[in-house]
Amino acid sequence: MSRYRVSMDIGGTFTDVVAYDEATGKYVAGKASTTPHDLTEGVFAALDQVVASPAEIGFTVHGTTQGLNAFLQRRGEKILLLATQGAGDIYHIARGNRLRLYDIHYRKPQPLVPRGDIVEIGGRLNYAGEELEPLDENAIRASARRVKDEGFGAIAVAFLFSYLNPAHELRAGEILAEELNGVSVSLSHRVAREWREYERTSSAVVDAYIAPVVRRYLERLETEMQSRGLSVPLHVMQSSGGIVTAQSARDLSLQTLLSGPVGGTMGGAALARLLDRPNLICIDMGGTSFDVSLVVDGKPDVASETTFEGFPLLMSVVNIHTIGAGGGSLAYSEAGGLRVGPQSAGADPGPASYGRGGDRPTVTDANLVLGRVDPAAFAGGRMTLDREAAERAVGTLATELGLGAVALAEGICDVINAKMAQAIRTLTVEKGIEPRDFALVAFGGAGPMHAVFLARELGIREVIVPPFPGAFSAWGMLETEIRKDFSRTYYTPLSALDHADLARTLGELEREGFTSLEDEGITRATGRVAHAVDVRYVGQEYTLTIPLASATEPREPNFDKAVADRFHAAHDTRFGHANPGAPVEFVVVRSMALGDLGRIDPVRQNGGSDASFPSTTAEVTFGRRAQPTTMMQRADLPVGSEIDGPAIVSEPTATTVVPPGATLRVDPFGSLVIAAGKEL
Amino acid sequence: MATVVEAHVDTQIDPITTEIIRSAFTAAADEMNATLIRSAYTPVIYEMKDCSVALLDSEHHVLGQSAGLPIFLGNLEICTRLTEEMYGRDIWQPGDIWIMNDSYLTGTHLNDMTVFGPIFYDGELAGFAASRAHWLDVGAKDPGGPMDSTSIYQEGIRLGPTKVVAGGIQRPDVTDLLGRNSRFSYPAIGDLGAQIACARTGQDRLAAIIDRYGAGTIASAKEAIFAQTERFERAAVAAIPDGIYRAQGCLDNDGNSEEPCWVRLTVEIRDDEMTIDLSETDDARGGPVNCGEAQAISACRVAYKLLINPHNPPNGGGFRPLTVKVRAGSMLGAREPFPCQWYFSQLGLLIDLVVKALADVMPEQAAAASYGDSMVISLSGIDHRTGQSWLDLEPTVGGWGAWDGSDGESGLINNVNGSLKDLTIEVLETKYPMRMTHYGYRTDSGGPGKWRGGNGIIREYTLDGEEAVLFLWFERSKTPGWGLFGGKEATPPVVVLNPGREDERRMLKCSRVALKRGDVVRTMTGGGGGFGDPAERDPEAVREDVRNRHVSPQAAREVYGVDVRRKSGVGSRT
Repeated sequence: MSRYRVSMDIGGTFTDVVAYDEATGKYVAGKASTTPHDLTEGVFAALDQVVASPAEIGFTVHGTTQGLNAFLQRRGEKILLLATQGAGDIYHIARGNRLRLYDIHYRKPQPLVPRGDIVEIGGRLNYAGEELEPLDENAIRASARRVKDEGFGAIAVAFLFSYLNPAHELRAGEILAEELNGVSVSLSHRVAREWREYERTSSAVVDAYIAPVVRRYLERLETEMQSRGLSVPLHVMQSSGGIVTAQSARDLSLQTLLSGPVGGTMGGAALARLLDRPNLICIDMGGTSFDVSLVVDGKPDVASETTFEGFPLLMSVVNIHTIGAGGGSLAYSEAGGLRVGPQSAGADPGPASYGRGGDRPTVTDANLVLGRVDPAAFAGGRMTLDREAAERAVGTLATELGLGAVALAEGICDVINAKMAQAIRTLTVEKGIEPRDFALVAFGGAGPMHAVFLARELGIREVIVPPFPGAFSAWGMLETEIRKDFSRTYYTPLSALDHADLARTLGELEREGFTSLEDEGITRATGRVAHAVDVRYVGQEYTLTIPLASATEPREPNFDKAVADRFHAAHDTRFGHANPGAPVEFVVVRSMALGDLGRIDPVRQNGGSDASFPSTTAEVTFGRRAQPTTMMQRADLPVGSEIDGPAIVSEPTATTVVPPGATLRVDPFGSLVIAAGKEL
Repeated sequence: MATVVEAHVDTQIDPITTEIIRSAFTAAADEMNATLIRSAYTPVIYEMKDCSVALLDSEHHVLGQSAGLPIFLGNLEICTRLTEEMYGRDIWQPGDIWIMNDSYLTGTHLNDMTVFGPIFYDGELAGFAASRAHWLDVGAKDPGGPMDSTSIYQEGIRLGPTKVVAGGIQRPDVTDLLGRNSRFSYPAIGDLGAQIACARTGQDRLAAIIDRYGAGTIASAKEAIFAQTERFERAAVAAIPDGIYRAQGCLDNDGNSEEPCWVRLTVEIRDDEMTIDLSETDDARGGPVNCGEAQAISACRVAYKLLINPHNPPNGGGFRPLTVKVRAGSMLGAREPFPCQWYFSQLGLLIDLVVKALADVMPEQAAAASYGDSMVISLSGIDHRTGQSWLDLEPTVGGWGAWDGSDGESGLINNVNGSLKDLTIEVLETKYPMRMTHYGYRTDSGGPGKWRGGNGIIREYTLDGEEAVLFLWFERSKTPGWGLFGGKEATPPVVVLNPGREDERRMLKCSRVALKRGDVVRTMTGGGGGFGDPAERDPEAVREDVRNRHVSPQAAREVYGVDVRRKSGVGSRT
C-alpha cells in the first residue's frame, strides 16, 4: 500500500518529516528532537507522528547533513592523497589567493590532508591527454602499504590531466582495490571531470573525507527502514537540488554535502509553479545565519561550482548565499555608534532571553521586547523565552546609547533588516536582476518575522510564507526529480569546432546519462538528458552555461551562429553588455540526466462561508509606538481569510509578523500571502 | 591590545538612523563594485579584483569604499580634489564623468585609470562616485608595460582630468583616443564602459539615499559616522606609547642599474596622532620604481589600517589621526619625467616597514615581513601548435611573516595585489606551449623562529615551443623577509635559467631574454620572516614541520637543535 510520499530532513536540533497523503491530497508534518548518537531514532520518532507504518510509504526522500557535519566539525576520514610527481603541493598552495585583504595575520583554510600525507606518484600526461611518462605502479603499491600501516580510512587520487585521459587514475584505483579491502577511493575524474587541478583535487578530497561517514550512515538508515517494512528505495537529496537513490549517493558522497539546505530552494521552485510566481527570492533566517537563494523563471539558480568553507568544489550546486545575520546577531556599541552583527551569540549562550548566561542583546531579544514573538511558543513551545532578561539586556545598551529600550529594540530590528535587504540587493545587482520583479518567500524560524520589512526595503510587493515554514526544506524535497550530472572539459574556439566530434561526445554523455537513470529505476519513457556547454569570449575567465537543444544539435546547419547568439543574449542579461561578432570558445560540456517521479498535485482548498477565527489582541510595537495587534494561530485561519496588519500569526515552527499597512491572505494551498504595502 | 573608547553620545541624530545610513553608504559602494566587476571585460578586474571604488561627499570625504585593491585605499578622492583645484568648483556639471591616470597626480602607473563623476541632487553638488581599475595596456613601449623604462613617456598615454562623458553623453572623440592608444582597444573600451556604469550606479544610489532620509539627516549622520570612526582610531593610536620609531629597507635596484633603492621612514606617535615621515627615502630613480605622492600616502594608510582599524569599512572619518610627509623629488614623490611603471615594489616594502617600525610597541598586531613583491614572470612567443602568438604574464606567490601565536602562511600572493589566483598547470599547458615540471613549496625558505615564517615556492617552466622571450621582475634579495623579536630572516628569491646545464644563469630582473625549446626557467620565491627565538619553538612543531617537509632534517638539527632521527624522547634537543 503506497499511500504516502515522505521526506525527512535532519537538522542540528530538530528532525522534520513531511508526508503527502495521496488519499486526502494533504500534507502532514512531524517533528522530533535530533538524536545525534543514533539519528534513525529521531527520524522514526518524527515519522511515527505522521505515518502508521513505513510499509505505507510509496516514495521517500531524505536530506542528510551527515557529510556536512563531518566536514564542518572536521570529523571526516583520515585521507592519503596521491598526486602527480612535481605537483603534490597544489592542494596546499590552493592557488595562493587571499580572501581578506586587510589582514597581515592571514592563514588559508586549514587543508583536510596534511602535507606529509600527500604522496607524489610518477606518471605524466600532456595537455592533449597523451602519456609522457608511464604510471609508477610500484609507488601506488607502496602507498597502499602505507594506508594499511598507518590506518588511513580513505584515499583521494588526483592526477594532472585525468579529465582528458583517466587511464592513470583508473589503474591506480584498480591497484588500490587489489591491495586494500574496502578502503574508500575517490578518483578525481569521477568526482569532477573538469580541468583545473586544484579545484578537482579539492573536490576529490572532500568526497574522500566524507564518503565513509555518508556510506555507513545511509546503509544503516536504509537497512533500518527496510526492517520496519519500507519496500521502496530511499532517495537522497543532492546539492544540485535533484535526488538520487541512496545506492548512487553512496558512490558519490560529495553530491550530498549540501543536501539539507537546498530543499528550501527546491520548495521555492515548487511554489513558483503552484502559485504561478516564476521569480522568487527565498530567504531562510535562523539563529546565526541568513540564507538567500533565487528562483528565476521558475528554475532554481544552480551553479556548476562553488566555494564552501574556503574550499572549491566542482559540482552542481544550488546557489545559496549566506550572510551573518540571524536571531542571535548581537547588538553592541562601538565608539558611540550602534552595531548589529555579524557577531552572533550563537546557540550557547544564545540570546539573553534564552536564560543560558547571555547578557548581551540580540535580534531575538529585540523582537521579544517589541512583543513580536510569543515567549511561550518559541521553537514549537520547546523553549520559553525570558522577556525580562531580554528587556534588561536591551535596556543596558539603550542607556549606553541614550535611547529608550523599546526604541532601541525596534532600532536593532531596523538595522538588521536594512543590512539583510542591502545584502539581497548587492546579490541581485551582481546577477543583473531587479528585486522589484520578484516575490519574497520566507521560511526558517525567523524569516517570516522580518520578511515584510525586507520586502519594503527592496520595493518587493508580495511576501509568501509557505505551509510548514519551519520544515520547508523537507517539504521542498518532495517536489523535485532525479538528477545526475556529467561533464567533460571540451576546450576549443567555436571557429575550430569539430561538429561531428562534439555530437559524438554528447551522444556518449547521453548514453551514460540514460544508463545511470536505469540505476535509479527510471526508464527511457520517464527520463530525459539535457545538454549544455560553458561558453565565454576568447580571453575571458568566466563562462556562462548555455543550453543546447539536443545531443545532435551540433550537426545542425547554422549551429555556430545559433549557439553564439544564445551566448551573446545570456551575456547581455548577466553582465549588461555583449559583443556579437567577437570570437567565443567552448570550455566544458555538461549533461544532466533527469527522471520524473510524478508531480504532487495538492488539493486546492476552498474557503468556507464562515471566515471567522479565534484571535486575541495584544500590544505590539511598530513605528516606535505600541499598537493593538491581532494575535492568532495559523492552524485556526481558514483559506480565504484576509487580515489587515498589525497582526501576528503563530505556529509551532515560526512566527509571521504582519506590520501596519500590510495585508495577509490565506491562499487555496495554505500559504500566507502578504501584500507588503507601505509603512503606516 | 584592547581598544577602550570613552562612551560618547551623539545628540544631533539618533544612533539607529546613523547606523542604517552608515550601512547604506557601505552597501552603495558594494553595489558600485558589483556593477564594475559584473561589467568589466578583463580578468584583471573581475577575477583578480585589481580595482577599487568609492562614494564621496561633496567635500571629497569617503562615505563608502568597497574592499578592493588595498593600495588604492583612500586615494580616489585625490582625483576629484585635484580636478577641482585645477579647474575650480564650477567645473562640476550634472551628467559629466571624468577620467585620469597621470602618475604624478594619481600616484600609480598609467595602467590604472580613475573614472569619476559628480553627483547632483536638486541642482546641488551632493558628492562624487569614483572607481579605479587596471587596464591591460595603455600603449607603453612594451605590451602591458615595460620593465626597463627610463621615463614616463615610454609608459603609455598620460591623461590629466579629462571629460569622457559630457551631459550624460559619452564623448566619441575621447573614447576613440583611448582606444587608439591601447594594444587591446576592445577590452579597454569595455572596461571604460564598466567604470562609467559604476559611476552611474554611485550617482543613483546616493540620490536614492538622500531621497529616503533627506539631505539634513544625511549630513548629521555623516558627521556622526565620521566622528565614530575618528574616535575609534584616535583611541587605538593613543594606546601606542609615544615615541619616534624607525625602519629602513631597500629594493635590489631600479631595473636599470645595480644600485639599491632605499626606503627610510620614521613613525612618530604623539598622544592620538601618528606621523609617518618618508623624507629620508632615496631620490627618484632612473628606473620605473617611482610613484607619485598620492600613492605613498595610500600605502601608509594601508599599513595604518592593518594595525589600527582592520575590520571596519573605511570612511571619511578614518585616517584623521595620520599625517604622511613625502619629500617632493624622492622615489615616493616623483616628478616628471621619472618612470613609474613598477610603482608598487617600494610600496609593498613601505607597508612592511611601517609594521616593522611599530612592532616593538604593537607586538600583538605586528607580523614579520613577507616575501615582499609580485615576482613577475612574463613569457611570450608563437605557439607552434596553432601558429598564434601567446603571452603569459604571472605574479608569483611566496611566504608571509610569522606573528605572535602563528606561523606565517606559505605560498600566498603579496600584499599589494588583490585576490589574485595562480595559473593552474592544466590551464597553463593547454594555453601556452610550455610544461610546468614542478610547482611546490621551497623547503627551509621561511625564516626560523618560535613561530616560523611561511615558505616560498618553486615554479619550473620548460619551453615546448620553438622559441620564446623572457622578462623577469623579481625583487627583495637584498631585503628578504626579516624576522621580529629574535625570529630569523627568510631566504631571498632566486631565478635560475637552465639549472644544472652548462649554460646555467641566475638573474632576478631581465628584459627580452631569448629562450629555445627545452630551456628551463626555475623561479624560487622567498619566504616570510620568523617571529621569536627559534630555540623557543616547540620541538614537536619542528618534528611536524619535518614530517610535512617545510623544514629539512638538517635545518631542524642545525637551526632548531631538534634531532628528528631520534624516535624516542619526543621533545629532546641535541
